[in-house]
Amino acid sequence: MNVLYVLVPLALALALGGVAAFRWAVRDGQFDDVETPALRVLLDDEEAPTDGAPSPPPDA
Amino acid sequence: MPAPPPSVPAAPPEGAVSPEAPCAHCGLPVGRRPARTAAGEACCCTGCATVRDVLAASGLGETYDRLRTVAPSARPAGRPQAPEALALAELDRPEFLDGSTRPAEGGRAVDLFVDGVHCAACVWLVERLPYEVDGVSAARLDLPRARLSLTFDPDRVRLGDVARWLARFGYAVRPSRPEAGEASAAERSLLVRMGVAWALAGNIMLVAFALYSGLGAERGGLATAARWFSLALMVPAVGYGAAPFFRRAWASARAAWRARSLRHLHLDTPIALGIAVGAGHSAWATVTGRGEVWFDSVAVLIAALLTARWLQLRSRRLAGEASDRLLALVPRVARRVGPGGAVAVVDLDDVRPGDTVEVPAGEVVPVDGVVTTGASRLDRAALTGEARPEPVDEGAPVEAGTTNLTAPLRVRATAVGEATRVGRLLAWVERGEVRRAPVVLWADRIGGFFVLTVLGLAVLTAGLWLWLDPAQMPAHLVALLVVTCPCALGMATPLALAVASGRAARAGIFVKSDAAVQRLTEVDTVVLDKTGTLTEGRMELAEWEGSGAALDLAAALDAHATHPVAEAIVRARGVGPEPVTDIEAVAGQGVRGRVGGAAVAVGRPDWVEALSAPLPARWRRALAAWAEAGHTPVAVAVDGAPAAVLAVGDRLRAEAADLVAGLQAEGKAVHILSGDDARTVAAVAGRLGVESARGGVSPEAKREAVAALQDAGGVVLMVGDGVNDAAALRQADVGAAVGGGTTAALVAADLFLTRRGVAPLVDALGGAEQAMRTVRRLLALSLGYNAVGAAAAVAGLVTPLVAAAAMPISSLAVVGLALLQPSFAARPAPAGDRPAPPRPDGPSRLAAPPRPAALADASPRPS
Repeated sequence: MNVLYVLVPLALALALGGVAAFRWAVRDGQFDDVETPALRVLLDDEEAPTDGAPSPPPDA
Repeated sequence: MPAPPPSVPAAPPEGAVSPEAPCAHCGLPVGRRPARTAAGEACCCTGCATVRDVLAASGLGETYDRLRTVAPSARPAGRPQAPEALALAELDRPEFLDGSTRPAEGGRAVDLFVDGVHCAACVWLVERLPYEVDGVSAARLDLPRARLSLTFDPDRVRLGDVARWLARFGYAVRPSRPEAGEASAAERSLLVRMGVAWALAGNIMLVAFALYSGLGAERGGLATAARWFSLALMVPAVGYGAAPFFRRAWASARAAWRARSLRHLHLDTPIALGIAVGAGHSAWATVTGRGEVWFDSVAVLIAALLTARWLQLRSRRLAGEASDRLLALVPRVARRVGPGGAVAVVDLDDVRPGDTVEVPAGEVVPVDGVVTTGASRLDRAALTGEARPEPVDEGAPVEAGTTNLTAPLRVRATAVGEATRVGRLLAWVERGEVRRAPVVLWADRIGGFFVLTVLGLAVLTAGLWLWLDPAQMPAHLVALLVVTCPCALGMATPLALAVASGRAARAGIFVKSDAAVQRLTEVDTVVLDKTGTLTEGRMELAEWEGSGAALDLAAALDAHATHPVAEAIVRARGVGPEPVTDIEAVAGQGVRGRVGGAAVAVGRPDWVEALSAPLPARWRRALAAWAEAGHTPVAVAVDGAPAAVLAVGDRLRAEAADLVAGLQAEGKAVHILSGDDARTVAAVAGRLGVESARGGVSPEAKREAVAALQDAGGVVLMVGDGVNDAAALRQADVGAAVGGGTTAALVAADLFLTRRGVAPLVDALGGAEQAMRTVRRLLALSLGYNAVGAAAAVAGLVTPLVAAAAMPISSLAVVGLALLQPSFAARPAPAGDRPAPPRPDGPSRLAAPPRPAALADASPRPS
């Protein structure tokens, strides 16, 4: 059972790390909008030109 | 209307298509010059047409059928569309740059509302800004809130230019008011609190598992260490996590003490009591080494309660921001004519009585005043309910809040701000907020009763166990107080209502307060406004007889006129490709000219008769009947012979009759109150089968009428859209502003609909009913849990292990049932208020298929 003296502080340290990461994420606004990023991944990156539309012609 | 159902390429190639007809790909209006697909369907832009062609060529045409089953996206459609030019001018004022932007890396940062974004392609397009506009270094769009965070260099680019770039794609940009940031900060801090509480609860449970699986029975060093470890984690859980509950419980206890009434005890009081007793007893047990610990139950309880609070706050904020967004449509600036005749955009507060302001066509008059230069037509519908535009010329009084329709005016201000008629109305609406008694939810009301019951049970338990086994008494007393902690009860109402209002928001129904949902189910009297609520609120082609081809010719001719009647005909029939020549507009009479070789005259029936031949008696009777109903009669002659007659007026919404019939079938009393002419109101009421209808009612009288209905014992739902309804909306038990309503109506209403028309009102009533049913079910469940728990605790059957199992299960059951409730369920799009057949819901943001989204990039307008 002595292993608990190691594991419990370890669990606590992990939790502390999690809380710190969560706190950073919340402050950074990562949870403010949980819908748009899901759509953003659908869009191609700048490096990979989209099918037949390298850039939107503003006056098309 | 010739618009094709989305999946069937049935449109006649190059046939006349109404500018309001939905684009075959995205569902937006196609405009005057629709792009065509290979099959000839009308699209709003070449991008949409290309996408549709590619989909059809790849055999993916069924995409549109799939999209149709998706709930319509909540797309705000506002009548008080803010004047573009004025909004742009507001963005470029130095005061805006100083007051609403903040310094950031790469220049200044600003938050803007972008109206009209609704899908993945919109995200892509808007976030292209940095690549397309020099001086913009970053652009992030928050789609659900339509908020664009922009970083730009004010020396290299003006915000007005950014807005102009976006406007080319059909997005309107509005300055966002800064207040929203505070709500967001409160939500973030609650979210952090919740995360910390769950992390602590998780670790306490980890140790609790060890204690339950045997360690607790030992009295060794390890068991003691485990308890002390839990205690150490419990301190921040109670001190930080549960702090909001203690604060509110303390406040409500003080209020109850001052009022000497248990009724003031909030449900947070027994919750705080349970937490305090559970944590305190466990701490004492840890310190003395005797007795049971309840750390795990209490820690999970705190975390679960915080989660419910956060969900509630989040759903409330979404509704609040939606109304902010609509409010931002109203500019707070005016064009003042300076001494030298130069026009400057100034803050509305800086305009004084006696100043002259310029009001271009399409803008809202900012002040009460007298016309000094110009002649135009005013849409006073928002203020008076009068649907027909009224002509004004020099010397005519105009009111703030009316819309100038046809030609620029200069107006000398006689009253500004709160002194205007609309200002006085709004001031009352805002004061009314305080006067209105807050509806306390049932779950909160029983707080006092709950405390009394628990105290009674505590005395019973103490007495019973003092007599049975005094040594066991404290343990059982603590068990009682912990297990009766109304965690599930406290979560049930807010959670069920938060889930319901979140679902409602997706369906385009924004509810400002939970209380409104409850009162919506108690409504027995419905008061409806006419103009803009039961009717479209603008001139439309209402009826016609005769040749459809003649009507198309009339529309082609009318496309060259600016009269509201002419525009209504063009909207309804669209513009064909025939060339139009020899146009002659006769003021007050009509328009004549040649369309593709035919001589066409459109105008007042007597004028058209004078140009052609007398109308058939049948058409005369029809015209007389239409005039009786408040419409404007129009005749069309082609090549010297009468070819059609039509009536232009404020057309009844298609779903209005269903709404009224549905309400009456449920036994609700329906009344119509309108500021419009009494005859017109009577005609509308007659068609809808409403017996109680009054016309010519002033805004103040509307409020009194609603109050009178309330005095007679009715729970009144007021439905309206205009400034003239605002006071009545505020007075009513529930005020509902319909889509495209005015600012004042939005401010005054308890719920507002962003979809056009009154059909969502039926959804709102049904959804509220189901939400309240869910609430009652959850309350019964959680009260039952508390009753069983209390009985078991009195009998001495509740151990920490039993509590640790029972409490989360009850909370989870409440959460699960709240999430699974059937209220405001997504349904296939109902037929819209537009004359268009099944509206393709367009690529809803919920289900924008990746392929079209990427392809639509070439589109010059949002697809």
